[in-house]
Amino acid sequence: MRFATKTKLLSGTALITLGFLSTAALAQEASIAFASGELGATSYNPVTSSNLNSATSLIYDRLVEQDADQSYHPHLATSWEEAADGMSWTFKLKDGVTFHDGTAFNAQSVADWIPDFAETENAYLVGAVASVEVIDDLTVKFVMSRPEPNLLYNLASSFMGVPGAAAYDSMGEDFGVTGAVGTGPFKLESFSIGLETVLVRNDDYAWASDLSENQGAAHLERVTFREIPDQSTAFLELKTGGIDVLLGVPTDFLQILKAESNVTVIQMPGTGINYMPINVTAAPFDDIKVREATGLAINQEAIVASIYNGVGAPAHNFLIASLPEAEVDPSLNVSHDLDRANALLEDAGWVMGDDGVRIKDGAPLSVKLFTQNGTEFTSLTQVVQAQLADIGMQAEITVFDSSTIRDEYKNNRHQLAVRGYDWNNSDILDWFFSGERLGYPNVSMWKDEEGQRLNDVAMKDSKNSAERIANFKAYHEYVLSQHLFVPIYQPTTNIAYNSERVNVPDPVRGTRFRSQTVLDMTVVE
Amino acid sequence: MLLRYIFFRALMLIPVSISISVVIFMIVHLLPGDPIDNLIRVGSSPDDRAALITKYGLDQPLVVQYFKWIGAMFQGDFGEAIVLRRPVADLIAQNLPYSLTLGGLAFAFSSIVGIILGTISATTRSTLVEQVVRGFILLGSTVPGFWLALLMILFFAVQLQWFPVSGAKGWDSLVLPVLTIGFGGVALVARVTRVALLDARREDFVTLLHAKGLPARAILTGHLMPHAMLPVVTILALRIGWILGGAVTVEFVFGRPGLGSLLIRALGQRDYPVVQGCLLMLALAVMLGTLIGDVAQAAMDPRIREAKK
Repeated sequence: MRFATKTKLLSGTALITLGFLSTAALAQEASIAFASGELGATSYNPVTSSNLNSATSLIYDRLVEQDADQSYHPHLATSWEEAADGMSWTFKLKDGVTFHDGTAFNAQSVADWIPDFAETENAYLVGAVASVEVIDDLTVKFVMSRPEPNLLYNLASSFMGVPGAAAYDSMGEDFGVTGAVGTGPFKLESFSIGLETVLVRNDDYAWASDLSENQGAAHLERVTFREIPDQSTAFLELKTGGIDVLLGVPTDFLQILKAESNVTVIQMPGTGINYMPINVTAAPFDDIKVREATGLAINQEAIVASIYNGVGAPAHNFLIASLPEAEVDPSLNVSHDLDRANALLEDAGWVMGDDGVRIKDGAPLSVKLFTQNGTEFTSLTQVVQAQLADIGMQAEITVFDSSTIRDEYKNNRHQLAVRGYDWNNSDILDWFFSGERLGYPNVSMWKDEEGQRLNDVAMKDSKNSAERIANFKAYHEYVLSQHLFVPIYQPTTNIAYNSERVNVPDPVRGTRFRSQTVLDMTVVE
Repeated sequence: MLLRYIFFRALMLIPVSISISVVIFMIVHLLPGDPIDNLIRVGSSPDDRAALITKYGLDQPLVVQYFKWIGAMFQGDFGEAIVLRRPVADLIAQNLPYSLTLGGLAFAFSSIVGIILGTISATTRSTLVEQVVRGFILLGSTVPGFWLALLMILFFAVQLQWFPVSGAKGWDSLVLPVLTIGFGGVALVARVTRVALLDARREDFVTLLHAKGLPARAILTGHLMPHAMLPVVTILALRIGWILGGAVTVEFVFGRPGLGSLLIRALGQRDYPVVQGCLLMLALAVMLGTLIGDVAQAAMDPRIREAKK
C-alpha cells in the first residue's frame, strides 16, 4: 500500500515535471524528420557532397531561389543581368549580410567560393564559368566559357549554398562535419551522422528572400532534423509528438495520416514523373507502332484515381507541368485510347489470340516488365500490367534493387520498366534520352541522328533562357513523336505536421521544403 | 601451456583474414551495378562519368584494385568512400559506438537471462514453469525481429509512453531495441543451456555424486554447471561477431545508426570501400569471437588444449 502511494506520488511529480518541460519545449522548438530520399547525408559541405538534405538550406543561403512555379527570386543576389551573347553574368549582392563567424558576405566571398568546385564531383554546376571577377564590394561578374542559360537553376540548388570562405579553408575535411559556416537563418550546433542534426537560430538574420513572409530571424529558436528510415516508425513519432513535421510522406500513407486529428497534410506540387521507358532495340518494341500502342494502353486518369486516391496528377508527357517546355503540341501528349491502340497492333500484324494475348508469326505478345523494389512502384506496376493486358500484351513483372536494375539496363536485358525521376529542369531529357548514355540513364536505348542534333542544340547552342526553352521544347516534341516511353503520373510532395504543436505555411513556397518555409514556421501557443 | 595455445591460434588469424579479404573484395566487385551511377547527377556529362571511373581506379583490373586496397589496409588506411564522400575509417568510427552499445547490452542481457531461464527450465520440477519457459524459448526463436520491434513500439512507446518511439539519445532509447534483439538471444542461450544441463545430468559421475549424498544444489553449481557451460560458451562466442552487425532490421525500425545500417546503405549504393571496410570489421569480430570462445574452452577443459596441441 505504502509503495503504491509512493509510486503514485513519484509518477505525479514526474508528470508535473514533464508538463513543465513540455511547455518550456513548446517555447520555440521543432523537430523535423527527413524524407526517406534524403537520408544518409555524411556532410553539410555543399561543395563536395554528393547528397545534401533539407537542413542544408537552413545553414547556407543561395544567391538565387526558385519558386514552385519555377520562377527565380533574388536572395543573396538582389539582381542579375545576363550579357546578350550569354558570355557573362553580373550579380548585384545584398548589403549587410554576415556569415555565422561574423565575417562579411561580399563579392570576394563569391570569388573565393566558385573556384572551390574545381576537381569536385559537383564541378559541372559551374562548368561554364571561366572566372569570377570582383567589380566592386557588392558586384560580381561571372565570365563564361560558353553561354549557360541554366546558370540560375544551378545557383538555386542546395549544392550552391554559399559557405564562409575563411572557415571553409581553415576547417578542411571537417567543414560540414564538425562545424559549418554559412549566412543562413540557422547555425549548425551538432551533427550525428545517421541520427540527427541540431540547428540553432541565427539571431542576426535579416536577409530572407521574398519567398518568406518573415524577413527577420526565424520564429523557431531551435530545429532538430531527425533521420528515421522506417516510415511506420516516423508515422508513430508524428502521432505521439516525438516529431512535429514529417517530410516526404508516401502517398499511400496519406489516408492513414489524415485520419489522425492532430495531423495536417500539405501537398506540394511534386518535382518528378513516374513513367514507363520502352527499350526501342528489343523486339517487338523496335516497331514504333507497338510502342505507340503501348502508350495508348495506359490510363493515367484511372491510375491517379485508383492507386493514389486522386492525389497528384496524370502525366501526359515527360516533364512536370510547371516547366514551360512541358507545353508541347497537344497532339503529342500521350493519353488513353484503347481503340487506336488495338488498331495499331492489328496494323503491325499482331492478331488477338483466343486467350486474350495477341500473336504474330506464332509468337505471343509477351514482354518483360521490370521495376525497382520498394512500395512506391509495386501497385503501380501491377496496374500497368493489367492495363497492358487490355490490348493483348502479356507483361511479366520482375523486381530488382536499384543498383542491379541499372546493370540489367546497361546489358540491354530489358523491354519495359516502371520507374520514376525527381528533377524540375528540362535537361532531364538529355539525361534520359542522350545517345551517349545508352542503357542507363538512356533506358529507352534510343540513339537517333535527329534526336542527337536537337539534344546538342538544346544543351550547347542555347544562348539565353528563351532560346533554351524553345530548343528543349523542340527536343521534347521530337522525343514524344518517337514513343520512347509512356508518361504515367506526377506525384505530389507531401508534408505532414502536428497541428497541435506547430504551424507550417500552406502553400509551401519554393520547389522543395527549405529555409523559406522554416522561417515562417511558428509554434502553437 | 595455455599461452602457447593462444599464440598459435592467434597466428592462424593472419592467413584466414587474408583469404577472407579476397572473398569480400571479389563478392563486392562482382555484384551487378557500380558506385558511379549513385554519385553522378542530372546535368553532368558522360565525360564526367568517365573521369570519375578513372579517378576511383574502377577501370583498372580487379587484381590491381585489390592489391591497392589491401596494401593501404595494411597501413591502417581504410580508404575514402566513393558515394558517401568521407574517409571509411571515420564512417566506421561514427557508427561503431552505437553498434557496440546496443549489441553489447543485448549480448549481456541475453546471456544472463538465457542461462538463468535455461537452468530453471532444466532443473525445475514444476511442469508449469517448464512449459512457460519452453513456450518462451519457442516464441523467441521464431518471432521476426522487425515485427517484435513494431509491437514493442506500439505497446511500450505509443500506448504506455514509457520509452521514446525511436532515436538513439539517452538510455531510455536503448531499452526497447535491447529487449527486441535480446529476446531472440535469450531463447537461443536458454535452449542450449537447457539441453546441455539435461545431457550433463545423465552422465555417470552425476549419479555417483547423488549416491555420495551431495545436495542437489551443490551438484548443480559445483559440477553440472561447469560441465554444461562448454557448449554455452561456444554459442556465446559465435555471437560476439553478431554484436556488431546483427541488428540491421532493429536499427532500421528504431531509427538508430550502426555498422549494420551503414553496411546496408553502402551496399545499396555499391560504395565499395565502405562495404569492404564494414565486412572486414564484421569478419574480424567473428574471428575474434571464435578465438575467445576456443581459448575459453581450452581454459575450462584441459582435454581440448591437449588434443589441439
